[in-house]
Amino acid sequence: MSKKNIYFEDVELGDDIGPVTRTVKSDQVFEFVSLREPDPNPSRFTSEEAAKKEGLPNAIVPGAMNIALMSQILTDWSPTVCLKKIDVVFRGMVPHEKSLVFSGIVTDKDESGDSTDLECDIVMENQEGVRLVIGHAEFALPSRP
Amino acid sequence: MLLDLHTHSIASDDSRASVEQYVRWVGVLRKKGHCIDGFVLTEHRQFNHDVDYSTLSEANEILILKGSELDTDCGHFLVYGVTKEITEQIDFSNVNMHAEDLVEICDQMGAIAIPAHPGRSGIGFAEYLAGGRKGFDTIEIVEGLNGSNRPGEGEKAQDLIKSKGYKSIGGSDAHIVSAIGTCMTRFTEDVKDESDLVNKLREGLFRPVRLEESKEQ
Repeated sequence: MSKKNIYFEDVELGDDIGPVTRTVKSDQVFEFVSLREPDPNPSRFTSEEAAKKEGLPNAIVPGAMNIALMSQILTDWSPTVCLKKIDVVFRGMVPHEKSLVFSGIVTDKDESGDSTDLECDIVMENQEGVRLVIGHAEFALPSRP
Repeated sequence: MLLDLHTHSIASDDSRASVEQYVRWVGVLRKKGHCIDGFVLTEHRQFNHDVDYSTLSEANEILILKGSELDTDCGHFLVYGVTKEITEQIDFSNVNMHAEDLVEICDQMGAIAIPAHPGRSGIGFAEYLAGGRKGFDTIEIVEGLNGSNRPGEGEKAQDLIKSKGYKSIGGSDAHIVSAIGTCMTRFTEDVKDESDLVNKLREGLFRPVRLEESKEQ
């Protein structure tokens, strides 16, 4: 993914963001959960056994972590991105240790001259193309100097 | 005429797209050479008689119609041609309404109820028929092409269509802006409004298409 500075004028409606493929490791989930609860008890997020007791096939990634991962599709796109709002819908369980594909597409651009705001759809899919998390984000890019 | 017959705006709790954003995105698709003449808002478990999209529709030359997607004891159904008489007779918020009653009332009152994403697990018509559910003699159409299908669901829908001889419509099931138009229905004649949509569906002169096929026109 590009790490170069992207400016408002560079972006067109329909431009793709990503895709980026990444795997969420179990120790990353443990680390994330530990931020709120040091030395956390086994749960559906940190223990396969606890997850199976709740009827899940495997341990899953917490919703808050999924939102953070979805945010990164934008903040990793360019250091110039100022993320203003993200709103997601969870449509499926997000598993640990499986490839996930993150992508976005620019859907709105303020052409009024009053701002440099943009909007985009963001999607997290599994390797089979099933959409696990979908959402919408509002962000700004600076004008080209 | 190409219409997306299955879309959700932010009036549905699980959508993140406004009607205005859909309209702008249709403009983007048209600039890319795709043909899309309109869409039907099929909000979950509701129908708003008061909302009027005619100004937005005319300003952008996009037909915007209203329908609904209802939860029944036999999966989700798309309903077109909703009238005040129908919403007075049916509780649209009932997540376990009797599907055959819904179909019958729609048939009697000038509307039409069509099983949505019939191959989907838990909320698809095919699963209930396979489980022994009988009836539904007046159903002739199902949503054979759904833009939000998971792997295997489209195949299951096609098996149902082949075994029962159903006709098939297409809809994106869009919940985000860029999903609109990914699957549509091509009608051989223009559709003017909700009532006309029901007539054109009953006439059977349509077929489902993917967005890629919309560049042919």
